[in-house]
Amino acid sequence: MASSEVILLSGDATRKVDVTIASGESRQLVFVALPGDGGVIDCSVSVRFAGEGGECTLRGLYLAGGSSSVNFTVNMEHGVPNCSSRQLFKGIVAGEARTRFFGLIRVPEKCIGTEAYQENHNLLLSDDCRSQSLPQLEIYADDVKCSHGATFGRLNEDELFYMRSRGIPAAEARRLQMTAFASEILEGLPEEIVAEAVTTLEGLI
Amino acid sequence: MAEKADILEQLTQAEYSEGFTTDIEQEFFPKGLNEDIVRALSAKKGEPQWMLDFRLDALRKWQAMEMPTWGHLTIPPIDYQDIIYFAAPKAPKKREEVDPELIKTFDKLGIPLHERDALSGVAVDAVFDSVSVKTTFQAKLAELGVIFCPFSEAVQNYPELVRKYLAKVVPPGDNYFAALNSAVFSDGSFCYIPKGVRCPMELSSYFRINARNIGQFERTLIVADEGSYVSYLEGCTAPMRDENQLHAAIVEIIVEKDAEVKYSTVQNWYPGDKEGRGGIFNFVTKRGLCRGERSRLFWTQVETGSAITWKYPSTILRGDGSHSEFYSVALTNNYQQADTGTKMVHIGKNTTSRIVSKGISAGQSQNSYRGLVKVASGASGVRNHSQCDSLLIGDKCGAHTFPVIDCANSGAILEHEATTSKISEDQLFYLRQRGISEEDAVALIVGGYASDVLQRLPMEFAIEARRLLSVNLEGSVG
Repeated sequence: MASSEVILLSGDATRKVDVTIASGESRQLVFVALPGDGGVIDCSVSVRFAGEGGECTLRGLYLAGGSSSVNFTVNMEHGVPNCSSRQLFKGIVAGEARTRFFGLIRVPEKCIGTEAYQENHNLLLSDDCRSQSLPQLEIYADDVKCSHGATFGRLNEDELFYMRSRGIPAAEARRLQMTAFASEILEGLPEEIVAEAVTTLEGLI
Repeated sequence: MAEKADILEQLTQAEYSEGFTTDIEQEFFPKGLNEDIVRALSAKKGEPQWMLDFRLDALRKWQAMEMPTWGHLTIPPIDYQDIIYFAAPKAPKKREEVDPELIKTFDKLGIPLHERDALSGVAVDAVFDSVSVKTTFQAKLAELGVIFCPFSEAVQNYPELVRKYLAKVVPPGDNYFAALNSAVFSDGSFCYIPKGVRCPMELSSYFRINARNIGQFERTLIVADEGSYVSYLEGCTAPMRDENQLHAAIVEIIVEKDAEVKYSTVQNWYPGDKEGRGGIFNFVTKRGLCRGERSRLFWTQVETGSAITWKYPSTILRGDGSHSEFYSVALTNNYQQADTGTKMVHIGKNTTSRIVSKGISAGQSQNSYRGLVKVASGASGVRNHSQCDSLLIGDKCGAHTFPVIDCANSGAILEHEATTSKISEDQLFYLRQRGISEEDAVALIVGGYASDVLQRLPMEFAIEARRLLSVNLEGSVG
């Protein structure tokens, strides 16, 4: 598995990331957005493939509470045949935070053999926050496999009840649930980033 | 087997079978749109002052608006001053008579205007160019208090009801085409189901464009009062012509407490020829309001026609516990373009919705799903599931998905999934080695792919829709 490049965004941050994947190259990027209270993070990622056989994996986590806002824009341009991409973006939104995820997968004519998948999952912890998801597919070639999925939900009450009935305090149970939700992204990242993310996560409860 | 033979016959013909014109004496307004035309139209229909004021207000709003450009569509410039806004068959001497030519036309389209010939259990309002020519079973429905009549008759006979509900769901300034329609709508259907009545037959509107250079602007208003039920069908066709014609309709549906409305459309406007010449521009605003608690609204649409489709049947779920579903099959072939989808706006508590959209693109066509699921801050307990699949047949077409999910409540559970793929080689091979021709095999696979939606249609419509899907796919394989 290709080593991953980690991009940590905290407080106020505006970042533009352009990625070019060479023929046969495999790259993985992980974004961790921790705006804190009142922080504004705006991150746009553009990926293009320079040759056939390229692979790109994007993972992202945003933990937004207080009056912060997080905006992710992903443009996945599959301009070459036989490339594949995977995207997984997860967010926990609390307080009065605003989050927006925009992700476009574009497959021009003749770019067959493309495989492109995208997922965006959001956990909402308050009724004053607002979260938007705009997963977009623009496909002009027929022999492709493309899909996207987006979900919104809250912490599972059955899981919470299960843990409470075994003597785990409510706050601890929620922390466990949220950590489990975020772990898919945080897995394998440097320890100091994981620690910072978990601290932020605890602040959202 | 009879149905199968029918499909094959249709396939070999592969022409748009509804593309004939009716030679009938008609009267027209001069081309162009201005205050005088709107006044003349209103006077022609003998409308009260409030209706004229409504139209003039809409016209002023429209004049200040710009045509929307956000659709994934290439729309050639439309000269709104080069369109005839009113065309009607010359009125017969006796009021109740219908011109035999018109009866023949609708017979040919499979829409008999004589009640004795009609499919039992379907009442029809037949709209020809700008006016309604016949509404069947009105007397029988009136026994139950169900009002089903042309819109212009409703303005005369039930002004209180019309004023109470008109433009409450789609205000005149809602969008460019809604404003245009509000200014110049010439007819359409009005339907009111009183409290607790289960409408005993399906109600149906059939829209036919015949005259050259006209635009059709009709308006449908359906009101289902407390605890009532109605199933509504809509069909449409037009002649084959090399120039484009504009159809800009509004459908408004109001569903009160515990009521249920099913709205089904089989849209078969002339799609243009193989080179993309001609065809109808279908720019339609359809919206329903689930106003009462536990009200339910179901949209089912099969879109196979029109050169360009711009249409988003939507539901505003305001009543607590209300529910809405949207099922759609959109097929585009040759140079057709479709930008269609739905909006589910959750305002009430414990409201639920479900979206199933199946897009099929063939030839050089472009087919987009555009949708919105919105949850307001106070709407707790909301549940939505959206599924949008696209099927590509050929390498020159496009299939696109543009959903927006906007959530402001922690109690909501929303899911959206979309996939894009082509017809599986394995499925095709399996059918081919059993001696089924490639074209039939594709029709079978597409029928199966769309069956989730087709099975929601009333029976006659489902058969028609299946036939249309296979006919419209002709020539798209190999």
